[in-house]
Amino acid sequence: MADAPGLMEPAEEIAYETRCAEGAIWTGTRLLIGVIAMAFAGVGFAYFYLRSVNSEGLWRPHGQTAPLLLGTEIAGAALVGAILQSYGLFRLRRGLDLDWSVATWATAGAGVLGCGLQIWELTRLGFQPGQSGYASLFVAWGPLSAALLLVGAYWSETLAARALRMKSAVAGDGGLSASQLPRARLFRASAEGAAYFWWFITTVSVLFWLLFYIV
Amino acid sequence: MAISATASAGLGQTGGPAPGAASPARGSRLNVGTAFAGAVLGYLFGHWLGNAIVSGDLYEVAFNTSTNNVAIFLALLFGVVGWLAGIGALNYPIAKIMGKEAPAEIPEEGWARFLKFTLDHKVVGIQYVVGVLMFFFTGGLIAMAIRTELLNPTSHIFGPNIYIQLVSEHGSIMMMMATSIVVGPLGNFLVPLMIGSRRMAFPRVEALSFWVFISGLMVILTAFPLGGFQTGWTGYAPLQEQSSGGMDSYLMGFGVIGTGMILAGFNMAVSIITYRAPGMRWSRLPIFAWSMLGTAGLLTLATPVLFAGVYMGALDRTAQTALFVNAHGGSSFLWENLFWFFGHPEVYIMALPGFGIAAELLPVFTRKPLFAYRVGAAGMIGVGLLSFFVWQHHLFQSGINPDMRPMFMLTTELISIPTGFIYLVGMGTLWRAKIRLELPMLFVLALYFNFLFGGITGVYLSDVPINVQVHGSFFVMAHFHYTIMGGLVFAFFGGLYYWLPRMTGSMMNETLGRIHFWMMFIFFNLTFFPLFIVGLLGMPRRVFEYAPRLQTLNDISSISSYLLGFSFVVFTINLVWTQFISPKPAPPNPWNSKGLEWTMPTPLPFHNFSRIPVILSDPYRYGEPDALPVADFGEIAAATSSTHEGLAGAQPTSSGTEEV
Amino acid sequence: MKGMPSTPEGRRLNRKHLTRLVIPWAILVIIIEPFIWFVLRNHLPPGHMTDSATGIQFDEAVVTMTGSPIVLGVLMYFGYAVTVWRVPRNAPLEDGPPIRSNIAVQAAWIAITSTIVMSMFVFGTYELVVPAGSGGGEGPTPIWTPATHKILPIQVIGQQWRWTYRYPTFGGFETDALVIPNNTEIAFHVTSLDVIHDFWAYQLGVKADANPQVDNVAFTKTQHTGRFVVRCDELCGVWHGAMYNYGQVVTPSQFMAWATSTEKKLAPMTKTLPPVNYAGYTPSANGAAGGYYPAIDPFSKVEETAVPNGKAVEDTSALRRTNPSQRAGAGSTTTKTPTGTIKKPTTPPVTNTSGKVG
Repeated sequence: MADAPGLMEPAEEIAYETRCAEGAIWTGTRLLIGVIAMAFAGVGFAYFYLRSVNSEGLWRPHGQTAPLLLGTEIAGAALVGAILQSYGLFRLRRGLDLDWSVATWATAGAGVLGCGLQIWELTRLGFQPGQSGYASLFVAWGPLSAALLLVGAYWSETLAARALRMKSAVAGDGGLSASQLPRARLFRASAEGAAYFWWFITTVSVLFWLLFYIV
Repeated sequence: MAISATASAGLGQTGGPAPGAASPARGSRLNVGTAFAGAVLGYLFGHWLGNAIVSGDLYEVAFNTSTNNVAIFLALLFGVVGWLAGIGALNYPIAKIMGKEAPAEIPEEGWARFLKFTLDHKVVGIQYVVGVLMFFFTGGLIAMAIRTELLNPTSHIFGPNIYIQLVSEHGSIMMMMATSIVVGPLGNFLVPLMIGSRRMAFPRVEALSFWVFISGLMVILTAFPLGGFQTGWTGYAPLQEQSSGGMDSYLMGFGVIGTGMILAGFNMAVSIITYRAPGMRWSRLPIFAWSMLGTAGLLTLATPVLFAGVYMGALDRTAQTALFVNAHGGSSFLWENLFWFFGHPEVYIMALPGFGIAAELLPVFTRKPLFAYRVGAAGMIGVGLLSFFVWQHHLFQSGINPDMRPMFMLTTELISIPTGFIYLVGMGTLWRAKIRLELPMLFVLALYFNFLFGGITGVYLSDVPINVQVHGSFFVMAHFHYTIMGGLVFAFFGGLYYWLPRMTGSMMNETLGRIHFWMMFIFFNLTFFPLFIVGLLGMPRRVFEYAPRLQTLNDISSISSYLLGFSFVVFTINLVWTQFISPKPAPPNPWNSKGLEWTMPTPLPFHNFSRIPVILSDPYRYGEPDALPVADFGEIAAATSSTHEGLAGAQPTSSGTEEV
Repeated sequence: MKGMPSTPEGRRLNRKHLTRLVIPWAILVIIIEPFIWFVLRNHLPPGHMTDSATGIQFDEAVVTMTGSPIVLGVLMYFGYAVTVWRVPRNAPLEDGPPIRSNIAVQAAWIAITSTIVMSMFVFGTYELVVPAGSGGGEGPTPIWTPATHKILPIQVIGQQWRWTYRYPTFGGFETDALVIPNNTEIAFHVTSLDVIHDFWAYQLGVKADANPQVDNVAFTKTQHTGRFVVRCDELCGVWHGAMYNYGQVVTPSQFMAWATSTEKKLAPMTKTLPPVNYAGYTPSANGAAGGYYPAIDPFSKVEETAVPNGKAVEDTSALRRTNPSQRAGAGSTTTKTPTGTIKKPTTPPVTNTSGKVG
């Protein structure tokens, strides 16, 4: 039975299922981005819709704007996170585990910082929520933006913490960057996903920064 | 994020607990009881917090309306969080912060596992069966209450206030139920078996989706003590702002259910894309899995827009934003757009699974291959794509983008082409077949009968001039009951009769099943067909009073609805008797199906397949005596060439970038 | 293999079943189609009181005539299949012919359904555009308008839970009786004071949502005198089911008599009403949109955004309601006492007058 052609040996089965799991992380990352993108697309639609309808001329009277400096810092935090996470991945592929760890902890820090700034900004607005379409939408977008940054920070933080715990287990097998153990391969797939996801966060942050502060 | 989390769970049966696993290798003690406790504690905490933080303008609003929406929202939110914490859904995401890896799951036996957070897709599937039936029966009882009020045009049993609450609850509960009625129970249970996988891609996400789904029912039911909501399930905006505290339950409930839908669809889509067995090419995928894939795509991409919508509604009611208030720079049209941008794909979330079940069952009971398989699969994906471009046909008379109406009329009518494919598939499969009218087949034929009327009345609705006459009337209401109940719910019960022997190992009683079917079929039609006429004769939806000349038709509908309800009593007796009290062991393959899911022993092994099967063929090879079996489990040493070919075709590459 | 589609035996069977199906179907279609056109059509709702109602009735007949052969064909097919190709449940298991696909059938199916759909689309669009929107709500700036300029404008105002009507060409008086003249093109300017309602004049074949701060225009041309019912068709709260009243199509001379006398009779009350403004009837900041919002004084200076679109004939300065309390005493017809939490009523911003006065 075991030697029937076509069937896989148990070792091959593990390899096969590991490849499936890696594929799931790859596909899942893209689909997760799709999910979040659709939620933000709802906000983006609201922006353009309210702006074009301009009910009672109250879309954005007097060109009111949220604090520009804070907003720029938040978008900047997202950008820094994405750059750091990608740089870390670049170093991980070169076999430099420590660089990756440092970059990832820093990314998580950037995410938390951006999230904190976003929440602080919501307490520093020069308008009240119901004053205009712009004000309402900004108040709606702020928490979503903070949550998105927090999700990115969570992903990076869990990866970095996982790397610490995994270190000894994979040390004999070439380290995080080279080990062929299933858990190390899945870890690398997730690290790749995190870098990709951080660029998505940056895209969203910068787009809405343009919409809310610049345009 | 969850992505990295769950994929690393024990791989197959060979994966042992990883070192540094988050919890000891025994079953968790958390169960539905601790979940209830968590929910109550969370609710109380949230309510206290909401009252504590309300001050200033918000306090004045809360005082004047005697409703503190902040407290209600926070209570519901923390209630749901407490519920999830109580069931143990949050253990792993928290342990991950400490860098812990997923523990391997230990198979559990006995009844207790059905009351727990479990990673076994088969247990989740059965949990979902119970869950959707809870939703369905709650919503069904409310429906009969609605029909009771409508027995008489002017005498009232409930009065307008309770009546409108009942209508709104019925709509919301049934819509929530219908989005998961097939994906949850049958999809979760069967898809891994059908694609030759030992597991779902993200079992924690899957389990979480179920417990979130159940908490959605509790959240929406809290609307009753909070004064209900008067908006119907559509929650149109200015009324939404004005509505009493139950509106918060509606917004929160759809937020919660939406989260569950996204999670379920996410896991389903990724599993089908990445966890197919070697040789399971796209051209061999069972048509039911195709329908699940299409549904999952809609669930993941349409629901976030609903989430954004209810989130904005919640802010309008708590943070005093004015997103849906025309007078303050918002727009009530915004809600209508966001809601229906989700709402219309949702209609196909509720149609595709029914088509999938019908197409999956037909070959078995006609003993013929599925006709035009590719057209059927393409139709499902086509329906899914087109459904994102039709939402404004719900708003033809609203004054929103009136110039766009011809375009939305076109897209709406175009969608009838891929929908028609399901009739092509069905009629082609029936051609010169050996039809065996077993119980599940009756439900499939009923779907074709009912959906025909549901579909053809959809053409009336899509035609803008006729829409002037029928929009918002009982005609619409009858139309979507014909498609959702007549299509999806019939398919679900057919699928349940068909697959329950697979799920539990016990057959349902045939006689009771036939009584259930005929009662359900006859009284479904008698309940809803008169309502087409009532709508054409000018009765708007959701009214508690109507013209006396329409009483006869309404009474036919009401009385039939009780008998329709009674048919589910028959079903429940059947279910309880044959599954719990006196189970009759089912033969291993009672319907002589060639599907992969019927090739395994009963009860199903924990990891489904002791060896990963190699798929050799699609499961519809009826009438071909020399056809290959559907899969190679090691017993067959033949057909090596196609095997290896198939193996290469379905394997993901090492970077995981497999062809999609 | 016996019965395979490609074998002569299979082809013979295909022909046999097809003939048995098509001939009775064709006979039934020949009977049913004239029946729909000559008998059923004139009984289809909503009758022929207006041109839009007649148009809807015509469309319903056409769609029914298109759809019934399909429904009939599918039902006959399923009935035939279940009777002819059914095997007893206790018969030994036997498989049918393995017909997996048939390119000709599939291509024909797709071609036929696509043709039907495209013709339905063209027909529906023609029927929408030519009779000026077919009685449906066309938003504030309708693009499909009647050819004539002699249009009677009537403002339809929905509020929880009643309908009132203003006649701008008769001094803007407001009643809760909808009386319209026969043989006249009518523009219903539908708006709301609070939540979304839907103006459904059943026998007129008119339906348009009533949105606060929005003018939703629907056209129709009356053809017959008689009584009609107006219902709210969009859920608007607890008493939605009780939100209906009746209207009447009368002869033009009767209408003129009624309108002029009512204008005179209601003149003292009309004086207290704000001037007719299709899009801006609803007070903005005084809580009429549900009385939910605290009146936050947004800005000390209100921006002037009133831009008449050229068609409007009223002086925009007259639109400025400087004192919301003026409206509070507007008489029995429009008052809905705001119950909200108003701290300080402020001057509402002037709204844009995109409505047109005929």
